Amino acid sequence: MKTISKYYPLLPVLAVYFIMFLVGKNVSGMWQLVAMLLFYCALGQAFNIFLGMTGYVDFGYVAFMGVGTYGMAVTITQLAHVEGLGFLVITIGFLMALLFSTLLSLAVGAVALRLKGAYFAIATIGVNEGLRFFIEGARIWNGSEGLIFMAELNQILGRKTASALATFWADIMVLFIAMSAAYVTLLFMRSKIGYALTALREDEEAAKVMGINVTKYKIIAFITSACFAGLLGAASWALKTPYVFPPEVFEIHYTIEAIIIVLLGGAGTLLGPVIGGLIYGLSKYYLSIYMPGFQLLIFAPIIIVIIVIFPEGIIGMLKNRFKDTSLARFII
Amino acid sequence: MALLELKNVTKEFGGLVAVNQVSLEIDSGEFVGIVGPNGSGKTTLFNVINGVFFPEKGNIIFDGVDITRLPPFKRAPLGIGRTFQIPRPFSSATVRENVAVGAMFGTLSKKVNVDDSLEIADQIIDRIGLHEYTGKQAGTLTPVEKKLMEIARALAMKPKLLLMDEAMAGMHPNDIDQMVDLIKKIALEEKIAIVSMVEHIMRAVVGMVEKVIVLHQGSKIVDAPTKEALEDPKVIEVYLGHPPEETHAVS
Amino acid sequence: MFFEQITGNLIQGLVLGSVYGMATMGLSLIFGVLKIVNVGHGAFIMVGAFITLWLFNTLGLSPILAIPAAFAVGMLLGLLFYYTTMRRLIKAPELASLLATFSIGILLEEVIKLIFGSEFRGYNWAVGKLNLGVTVLPMSKLYACIGSAIIALLLYIWFNKTRAGTAMRSVVEDSEGARVCGVNVDGTYAMSFAIGIGLTVVSGVLLTMFIPVGINPYMGGGYTLKAFVIAVLGGLASPYGAFFGGLVFGLIENGSYMLFALIPGVEPFALTRFLSFVILLIILLIRPTGLLSTK
Repeated sequence: MKTISKYYPLLPVLAVYFIMFLVGKNVSGMWQLVAMLLFYCALGQAFNIFLGMTGYVDFGYVAFMGVGTYGMAVTITQLAHVEGLGFLVITIGFLMALLFSTLLSLAVGAVALRLKGAYFAIATIGVNEGLRFFIEGARIWNGSEGLIFMAELNQILGRKTASALATFWADIMVLFIAMSAAYVTLLFMRSKIGYALTALREDEEAAKVMGINVTKYKIIAFITSACFAGLLGAASWALKTPYVFPPEVFEIHYTIEAIIIVLLGGAGTLLGPVIGGLIYGLSKYYLSIYMPGFQLLIFAPIIIVIIVIFPEGIIGMLKNRFKDTSLARFII
Repeated sequence: MALLELKNVTKEFGGLVAVNQVSLEIDSGEFVGIVGPNGSGKTTLFNVINGVFFPEKGNIIFDGVDITRLPPFKRAPLGIGRTFQIPRPFSSATVRENVAVGAMFGTLSKKVNVDDSLEIADQIIDRIGLHEYTGKQAGTLTPVEKKLMEIARALAMKPKLLLMDEAMAGMHPNDIDQMVDLIKKIALEEKIAIVSMVEHIMRAVVGMVEKVIVLHQGSKIVDAPTKEALEDPKVIEVYLGHPPEETHAVS
Repeated sequence: MFFEQITGNLIQGLVLGSVYGMATMGLSLIFGVLKIVNVGHGAFIMVGAFITLWLFNTLGLSPILAIPAAFAVGMLLGLLFYYTTMRRLIKAPELASLLATFSIGILLEEVIKLIFGSEFRGYNWAVGKLNLGVTVLPMSKLYACIGSAIIALLLYIWFNKTRAGTAMRSVVEDSEGARVCGVNVDGTYAMSFAIGIGLTVVSGVLLTMFIPVGINPYMGGGYTLKAFVIAVLGGLASPYGAFFGGLVFGLIENGSYMLFALIPGVEPFALTRFLSFVILLIILLIRPTGLLSTK
């Protein structure tokens, strides 16, 4: 009983995803919107594991999605001529995405995680640009021309399956990534890792003196968060749109979106990124219809207001409001 | 063998010597006061003992182990607990979670899982008398409650040595008496050596300190039982600025 | 021939570096006094660029006249953002101020995009060229360099010889101590933020005098990164360190571009930008307090 009650907070998260899935599947014309919302929820949940739980800002976060996309793209282009691999190629692609994002997070983390606060942020702000210019400058993976692998994907899976993958199954993979990220977040929160991260987020020096190896726990959160980003890039970018150009996949815009989602919903909460992702995705969608090009103009002041007036975000506020009620065990 | 031994420890900050050639010994279960005015090097000495700073010269031996170059997170589990002058709670976590962090990471036993730590936390919170605040966010406590919580958090680490940063400053005298009795009782039961920082030597008298070590401009000038130290002319000079006769002459 | 090329490159590098240095002083001033990293730094440079562009193209005013205008606009923006936002975040966790300045940068970009659109623009300020024998220097670049040096000097004088400057230095050293000594710390914060932003917007003017094309609402991102590299080169909290860091960085950038161009099969421009990122990481790794700082 005790072990089951530990997982209560997952219920609202799963409920939201389930409703989204049902709406997308049953209301005609809605799947595309739902797919976009799933992407934002997954992005928020992945980013929250680092930003929310450690309180460190990684401005170069999109780079992990970028290398994840490349992991999938490179695998598909390299293995296209091997006969009869089929879905194994996609599996290898995801493994490569994981490998690339892990390697990058180790490289960045080795330098940046030694630094505190502002210096960490400064070190990360150039990661995405640096990587983009490295790929373009040294002409790796076709440099600035990028990789286009529509034909290879069709060759591997067949035109029909490839199309079903792009329009439906890739989104299901994103949903799966989002749910896994939520589960891992809860697992962290309920374990020593979560306690260590809370302590170091609140007061790093005091945490050290309490016996917490802060570097170790920061690295755990950083790599985990990076791996989810890599998978997300592979599923949502490489498989849905079978091409990859350096300026697109290293665009800081996605880091901005991730920050908005996490802050809006509530940094460090489990349900927050889902709610943040939903609100952000829906507003972006309708703004792009009614006021195209104005999304950021509207969202930038909103983030400023959140930071200044209610830094705990929507779920953070609800959590405080329902603290002593029976709802409390569902909202964290 | 002493629990903690410092041998000629020196810590400098860019040419400024904050701790100068300090040697001292603290025995198991002893109550010691580090006395000295503001800027005499007390906080630096604490930070050198628990590893926030590494000394330039000298050695630190704790419980038979040379810990001079050990990072703070490795020292804490050996049995070095710490409270801060201005309490530093993990604000967003509850009192119970704060104390559990101490139990979880502050001991050498790797077997302490989250549930065990929470149980240990509950026991200690009861003992310190904080049970009515256990579910409160630590950031919302009053300063006195925060101090108590910090002590509970440090005790959860099962320390052999507890470094207390002027834990009594700014508290009501009644509270101080109560807290001193409580800490003393627990420390005696668990054989914890307590080193507390004392701004003014008179506080050492009202506190629980058996022995005082007086620091002056980074150097140790006196290391003696409290009563003796009080009569030491060097101590009087540090605190009054002149030998006692001259002071009389002026007033 | 080779010697001439090197000398020419050194001169070009130093001229560029002086402007880079000036473009980083505001960032360092704000960090030094408020301990806040202005992640939206590049966006304020962009505002300066647009002020220059607008004054030149619509009113026909010389970019030199844009300098005081940019400083005034920068001061006003600085005060506005200080009193509405930054003031409440000085004691907050670093996360808050980083994200706030980041959002302010985005806000500026979007407002400028709303007014001017997002296409690349430029202007043509024909003031002739100076032939130095080893290299040819457009007068506009020379003006930008001289302007940077004068502004750096003025800041130095202001910092060291005026009451407000002294107050600012005392806050950098110890804000609590300064408060006890009767310094209006809040006022000093506001003033420093405003001057820091003012300097940054002015640097946008000087940078367009240097490179009068490629003006676009999103041009600031690259400059933010460069400014961070320069600031950590010079010790993040020191405006003069930043100026000298800029000179060093200008030399590195110019020299490395020349070297990368010799390697066949690579894109020297992209590699130069990658290099600045690598330099940043290396400095942060070996000496986060800055290579040129004495501490």
